[in-house]
Amino acid sequence: MKTKSLRALPETETSTAQKPPWAAFSRFSPRRRSKKPNTHHAASVLRFAVILALLLWAPALYAGKLKVVTTYPYIASITEQIGGDRIKVDHLARGDYDPHTIVPKPSFIARLRRADLLIISGAQLEIGWLPPLLRQAGNPTVNPGAKGFLDLSRSVRLIDVPKSVSREQGDIHPDGNPHYYLDPNNIPLLARSILTKLSALDSRNAGYYRSRHGEFAKLWNAKSAEWNRKLALLKGKKVIEYHKNFDYLLRRHGILLAGTIEPLPGIPPTSRHIEELEKIMSGGGISFILQDVYNSDDASRHLSKKFNVPMVKLPHDVGAVPAAEGIISLFDEIVRRLGQ
Amino acid sequence: MKKILFLAIIMALPFATALRGENEGAPFEAESGDASDSPFNQSKFVPDISLMLDGSYVFRNTRNAVYEMLESPEFTLTPGGESWHGHEEPHLRNGFNFNYAEISFYSMVDPYLELFAVCSLSEEHFGLEEAHFTTRSFPLGLQLRAGKFLSGFGRINEQHAHNWDFADQTLVNNAFFGEDGLSEVGVRLTWVAPTDLYLMLGGEALQGTNGRSFGNAKILNVKGTPVANVGNGPNLGVAYLKTSFDIGELTVLAGASAAIGKARINHGLDLAGKSGAAFAGDTRVLGGDITLKYMIDSLRYVSFQGEYLFRHMEGRRFSNDASDEMTRSDMDKRQSGLYAQLTSKFSPRWRCGARYDLLWKNRVRENGVDEGLPENMPRYSGMLEFNPTEFSRFRLQYNFDASKYNCESGAPERKINHEVIIQANLAIGAHGAHSF
Repeated sequence: MKTKSLRALPETETSTAQKPPWAAFSRFSPRRRSKKPNTHHAASVLRFAVILALLLWAPALYAGKLKVVTTYPYIASITEQIGGDRIKVDHLARGDYDPHTIVPKPSFIARLRRADLLIISGAQLEIGWLPPLLRQAGNPTVNPGAKGFLDLSRSVRLIDVPKSVSREQGDIHPDGNPHYYLDPNNIPLLARSILTKLSALDSRNAGYYRSRHGEFAKLWNAKSAEWNRKLALLKGKKVIEYHKNFDYLLRRHGILLAGTIEPLPGIPPTSRHIEELEKIMSGGGISFILQDVYNSDDASRHLSKKFNVPMVKLPHDVGAVPAAEGIISLFDEIVRRLGQ
Repeated sequence: MKKILFLAIIMALPFATALRGENEGAPFEAESGDASDSPFNQSKFVPDISLMLDGSYVFRNTRNAVYEMLESPEFTLTPGGESWHGHEEPHLRNGFNFNYAEISFYSMVDPYLELFAVCSLSEEHFGLEEAHFTTRSFPLGLQLRAGKFLSGFGRINEQHAHNWDFADQTLVNNAFFGEDGLSEVGVRLTWVAPTDLYLMLGGEALQGTNGRSFGNAKILNVKGTPVANVGNGPNLGVAYLKTSFDIGELTVLAGASAAIGKARINHGLDLAGKSGAAFAGDTRVLGGDITLKYMIDSLRYVSFQGEYLFRHMEGRRFSNDASDEMTRSDMDKRQSGLYAQLTSKFSPRWRCGARYDLLWKNRVRENGVDEGLPENMPRYSGMLEFNPTEFSRFRLQYNFDASKYNCESGAPERKINHEVIIQANLAIGAHGAHSF
């Protein structure tokens, strides 16, 4: 469950998802030291003692660190960039799964139980799986509205906020399109919110967080300029999308959405809807079909073959494809795949 | 049990005061004022409300009048004889069944408590399935719930009918806890351990008026004289331990539960000129459950769920024949049952599954003599489900049911039932997500 950190910045503390279940208990006995080594086997006993002490102390070392749990890997990656080795970051959902329908595993409850800070993507993306977990975790520190809760969607402007909502329109989000994080220009806003929150919860390390954030922001600006330059070349092109995952990016760069494979959000394609798309595509001028990694690509593949339009599989989160190891490589990969 | 209540109140006091001022005061833009906007408008405080509807069409090879008289000896009473949320058991009749409509309400009460209620409606009845509050501000992984709620005993008991993988209740839960499940008025305290491994401990003090295994009914003879002392106060204690971990994409959830209480159950002992019976004694129900869920990918899974329950009831049975002659006997019932079900979401909108249900051991001794009742009463089920969205579900289920007997004429006589159930279950409004 570890989110690989950005290569440009030093490697940060790894997640402890692989830690044995009893490790947490050992925190309660950190003062236990090995006895004076016997002179005969001094070296081996000493080595053993050091290993034992390390094992016992390891959990104690990060016990003082701020424990951050994020819903999606992309948030964990941004948070790691800012928090570095002064925090312990862990994410719940897998990056290659549909973010709308994560299975609420009880093991997530155990992680939320001990979190000091929970960072969610918000805009109702987690509504289908997070609320029962939070309810069962019994951790008031990370309840919505508490100090240890951060909803990132509050720091950006959401698009496509529906005037009225009805489930007739499929799985719509009343607050607007929740995939705002797939626009690189929104990431600095998220990073700033995370910095503010980390500094508020852990003021001792505020300076450290600020300097890491500064480095990250500088790097992001440089990367952004490069991505924006490449994406600008796609201006005016028409695309078909499976689900409205990339609308923020498309809109910012003047890429036109000609249709979606889903007839309505969350509803799989029907043959009648595909016929309609075929009508649109037969007019020509469609440059790509954008497909995610978790939904069936049968419809996209069919249209791609029929009209000889490339299907581009885009990662929607860190970990969705092997190359998207962190928040920067995620966008490197998106831009690379779009540019092909 | 009183101790638990007292402890809970004592613990609640300091934290209620300590957890103030946690609202962050996120800056909101002022809403543009509608003409209807009164300065005292409270419409934004409407709780989450949802309505659920469940209906079915049933084909059964047994006529309704016969089916309603069938029972699983010493496990269940006749299906027609009991009420389900104050109305008929679902899928009871051949033909169309309006099983239930369910209205649920959920909201935070204040920064510390949340409230949840489910009302069950049928054509003529209104029932309260659950209505309880739960603390959201206790520290140390503790949570207190009070009101009427589904007990955390076992796995399937806490799930609402619309969340089951099959159209009907499992045989063993129906036999031991009745059609409503173990749903009682009382208080619960749960604790989630601060470990990487999910570990949850729960304890409940309940009134215990279940009617199948527990009860505090007055037991009177035909003259109106009590023949057994009546329960006074909570008479059921439930405890459980649950644990869960992941092995790659396989999630394992296992639990052990115990329900220990008094049983004062009356079935018409006080009715003159009719045969009736009553039981006064102690009941223990022990259970073990395991769930294994393997995610094939983001949208598909295979899931196994199984539960074993054992019941021991010990006490006196009173029975009354048509000539109002009352007899007492010492009863010792040791019964067990289980279910095992395998389901698979094999495509984003489709699920299928198979279930094996068994009422297993049935050792009932009256005054030390084994009654020689039927054992090993199975039911086999298969289902196919189409879920157009997460708000609608259409299910086709077949049951081969060998668990029911005709006990009208002396020795129990097995009646095999073949059932086909076509079920529709729909939800509108703000319905909260389900837990694992």
